[in-house]
Amino acid sequence: MERNPMRRQLASLRKSLFDQGYLDEQFMELEQLQDDANPNFVEEVVTLYYRDSARLILNLDHALERRPLDFSKLDGLMHQFKGSSSSIGAKKVKAESTLFREYCKYGNAEGCMRTFQQLKKEYATLRKKLETYFQLARQIGPMESANRPK
Amino acid sequence: MLEGKQNGHVFKLPKVILLAKNITNVELEKAKAAGFADTVIMKPMRASMAAACLQQVLGIGKKRQAGKDMLNGSPVLQGLLCGKKILVVDDNMAHQRVFAGALKKFGAAVECRESGKAALKLLQLPCCFYACFMDIQMPEMDGFEATHPIRMMESKANEQMNGGMDEDSGRKGEWHVPILAMTADVIHATYDECLKCRMDGCVEAL
Repeated sequence: MERNPMRRQLASLRKSLFDQGYLDEQFMELEQLQDDANPNFVEEVVTLYYRDSARLILNLDHALERRPLDFSKLDGLMHQFKGSSSSIGAKKVKAESTLFREYCKYGNAEGCMRTFQQLKKEYATLRKKLETYFQLARQIGPMESANRPK
Repeated sequence: MLEGKQNGHVFKLPKVILLAKNITNVELEKAKAAGFADTVIMKPMRASMAAACLQQVLGIGKKRQAGKDMLNGSPVLQGLLCGKKILVVDDNMAHQRVFAGALKKFGAAVECRESGKAALKLLQLPCCFYACFMDIQMPEMDGFEATHPIRMMESKANEQMNGGMDEDSGRKGEWHVPILAMTADVIHATYDECLKCRMDGCVEAL
């Protein structure tokens, strides 16, 4: 029932997400909004982000298949994706979306496609790391209430 | 209820604040020209920024909070938003949730809508909202498009009120919506960031 090592693991995992540039300080804003009234706030918002992202990535995939590319449409979609990513502090994903938009601006199809592949990679990595993080957090959560002094 | 800015009349003034993920200079000038934007704020929205903008827009407590940090839980912010009905209009669900959560933390009563159209329904006069934060770039009806009918409503209402006005100050009653445009990030700053990430690719594209 030792939860201290798990707590330490969680803290370490969290720190690495920031240190390695996956998350920025916006994520901390989310954490600050989590409280007793909203105990799962961060995970809930991140889940909404996944939902937003799934839709946008699908739309982007489709848009990138068309010939010729509609850069304006691509830019619009990526703009939304960037906004979504900003909301949770997804730093690397956000950087890729910015780059993508630059390529759109200059009508650089290859740049767009290359960047989009990279973006999807970053998104997948972030998602995996966050899932691990929340899983651990959830494990600690119920343990906390179980171990609470009477 | 919210007091009329400067004029001492007690009117309900819904404040419409536009949210922008990325606002170009053209859009910003357009917003200012149309009397929309007084200030540009960065998105993702933080309640501290929202409250600071409201304060600026309403001309409330400016002197009090000059030089102070806008920290969460600050009594000034608590006072400003507590019990106030706020409408958040944003098609981005994650952001909507974050922003609404932040406002609620300050005690605001928040309603959310995902479209300009849905928001318009709630903003019909007489409006019970203290402020409305609206995304400037939504697909069907963006912040500009949604604000226009609100202005039209207000002009009509103002005309009607001015007709029967006999206040001592002699000032005309005025429904006016100060609007703040908000943007996700300054284009150049993030461009610099992405240059750091993928420097060569970016430069070549130019």
